[in-house]
Amino acid sequence: MRRLYSSLVDGRGFDLCLIGIPLAFLIVLSGVPLVYNVVMSFQAVDMFSLGSFIRPWVGFDNYRQLIAQPEFWPIMGHTATFLAASIAGQFLLGFALALFFWLNFPGASWLRGLFLVSWVMPGLVVGAVWNWLLSGDFGVFNFVLHQLHIISGNVFWRSDPAFALWSVIIANIWLGTSFNMIMLSVGLSSIPADLYEAAELDGAGALTRFWTITLPMMRSSIGALISLGLIFTLQQFDLFAAITAGGPNNSSNVAQYWAWDLSFKQYDFAKGAAISVIMIVVVMLASVYYVRSTRHEVRG
Amino acid sequence: MKTSAILGAVLYAGAATLGMAAYAADPVTITIWCQDSETQPGLNLAKEFGEKNPDIKVVYRQIHFDDVTSEAMRAYSTGQAPDIIAIDNPEHALFASHGVFLDLTDRIAKSAVIHKEDYFPGPLASVTWDSKLYGVPKATNTIALYYNADMFKAKGLDPDKPPQTWDEMVDAARKLNDPAKNVYGIAFSAKASEEGTFQFLPWAQMTGGGYDKINTDGAVRALTIWKTLLDEKLASPDTLTRGQWDSTGTFNSGNAAMVISGPWELNRMSQEAKFDWRVTLMPVPEVGAPRSSAMGDFNWAIFKSSKHPDEAFKALEYFVSQDPRVFPDWGQLAARANIEIPPTGDAKKDAAVKVFMEQLKYAQPRGPHPEWMKISKAIQDAIQSALTGQASPKDALDQAATTIKGILG
Repeated sequence: MRRLYSSLVDGRGFDLCLIGIPLAFLIVLSGVPLVYNVVMSFQAVDMFSLGSFIRPWVGFDNYRQLIAQPEFWPIMGHTATFLAASIAGQFLLGFALALFFWLNFPGASWLRGLFLVSWVMPGLVVGAVWNWLLSGDFGVFNFVLHQLHIISGNVFWRSDPAFALWSVIIANIWLGTSFNMIMLSVGLSSIPADLYEAAELDGAGALTRFWTITLPMMRSSIGALISLGLIFTLQQFDLFAAITAGGPNNSSNVAQYWAWDLSFKQYDFAKGAAISVIMIVVVMLASVYYVRSTRHEVRG
Repeated sequence: MKTSAILGAVLYAGAATLGMAAYAADPVTITIWCQDSETQPGLNLAKEFGEKNPDIKVVYRQIHFDDVTSEAMRAYSTGQAPDIIAIDNPEHALFASHGVFLDLTDRIAKSAVIHKEDYFPGPLASVTWDSKLYGVPKATNTIALYYNADMFKAKGLDPDKPPQTWDEMVDAARKLNDPAKNVYGIAFSAKASEEGTFQFLPWAQMTGGGYDKINTDGAVRALTIWKTLLDEKLASPDTLTRGQWDSTGTFNSGNAAMVISGPWELNRMSQEAKFDWRVTLMPVPEVGAPRSSAMGDFNWAIFKSSKHPDEAFKALEYFVSQDPRVFPDWGQLAARANIEIPPTGDAKKDAAVKVFMEQLKYAQPRGPHPEWMKISKAIQDAIQSALTGQASPKDALDQAATTIKGILG
């Protein structure tokens, strides 16, 4: 009994508790819904059998029907575009801003704090604001582009099938840039200053220093940021609901919005679950690739 | 999304425990779920009913509009449904057809307060499934054509003779359209949501079509007219992504000469619109064609699982007895044809209400069908693929008809 107690206070038992409690939380809060979701995607789910676990098994029928729908491949394509463009835009802008504020001019940290406003605002509010900004007839975005002589007529960002997805991407880049900036600022500030001093003494220019010191030293921050970006971007739902509702004619529909629409608008919970499972697989593949590639780089 | 669901569950658990505690001390507690806030009828009527009946304890829970159906389904499947719920009318059939709502046919037949024949046919049809009554209409609304009489005069149109047919409406839109002044001829909503279906379906119905025959020649003509409005820029391209509230906003600010919208705009319009605005009935395909219009708003229903159906029905009777107050006190239209709307003192608003009351006679429900949301999605897809030029109106509606046929079985 005493041994158990001392092990729990300061020993192997304590260590196990440290790991075990969060693990139990993780299993209950994430694992169970995940398994429930996967199981549901193989069942025929009626809106009133939602509460029970035992339902008719249909195998891959939900997936087959989903893939057969004409909008399936376009939506998957939009999802890929949305992911790639959002992550690239957020990262590049965030990195540029982080480097800019790294210059440490007077008021830099204060200004950097202001940028966080976009990250703090709820997605639906951001969506509503961008909804007005991007409006074709009276939108501020068009006005600015017009004044800069970039466009001559009004662009209907939300309603033109060629631009609808990009209007959400623009809003999403705006939403995520400040988070990228903060994460990268943290990474930048952890690089020891003497490295740069030494390089400068050796005659390395600003670009060389960036390529040979900044980027390699930031590798882990960048990797973490991109995988987080992938997850946040795949979760982005509010902006679609607020700006385009997936329209016109699905031209801005993406997997996550479609899953919500199927589950909670059309009450086709099984198909909604099937899309979620496909998304989980994609995220898992991406994270496995990321983990493997970074491990390889470090060893090589 | 997740937090609100958890919060909802916690709130609900709280309400349930409260209910249980009260149940032990008090013989009867009825729970009412409704989306109405302090300025709307549901909450006020529930409170009054509780005050007037000291032997009945009323627990009211306000649910957000988007969560009503999913919350109700979840609650019912876990055996925790409320006694009374207010539900959006196109979703009523989903619950009724699954035997989730209490059949009120006999109770209504015996009731001294609720009379089937008092109601407009549209709202009544929406609570009916398999020729039985599964609820009582809570309020109703519809759409009609608002127009800016000042602009009509400025462009040489007679404001006392607003467009009555589709062609007249398109002609008027062409004359009123004034890009130099940022004025569109007309505004409406073709959004990829229930709002798009809500606005388009009446057009199909006026030609004898409907959700079960969506690709009639008349419906194709209707969609072609919508396409003309957009192609000729008589309506903003943002019609495709803008809801009715925002579309009407452009009318109020003088950027659209006409708008198709509902009576829920009346209060806002009388405050915002600084011009002579009027309302006329929805234009018809040609003179003498049958009229139709959309029908919106909520219904009351009692869950079959209710332990106190008598008290719950008594509550519904009280709500119905207060129908004459629904417009004067809360600005909504009761679903009944036998209620006189008292004058508000605002001449434009009073004239508009008269038109809406006339229009309500022709309002038709969406469905009723348990799979309504899937049917609606097929219609939205057809509207949007035609208007963006990805399919011809005929092909788009044929596709929708095939999808809907698959759903209807």
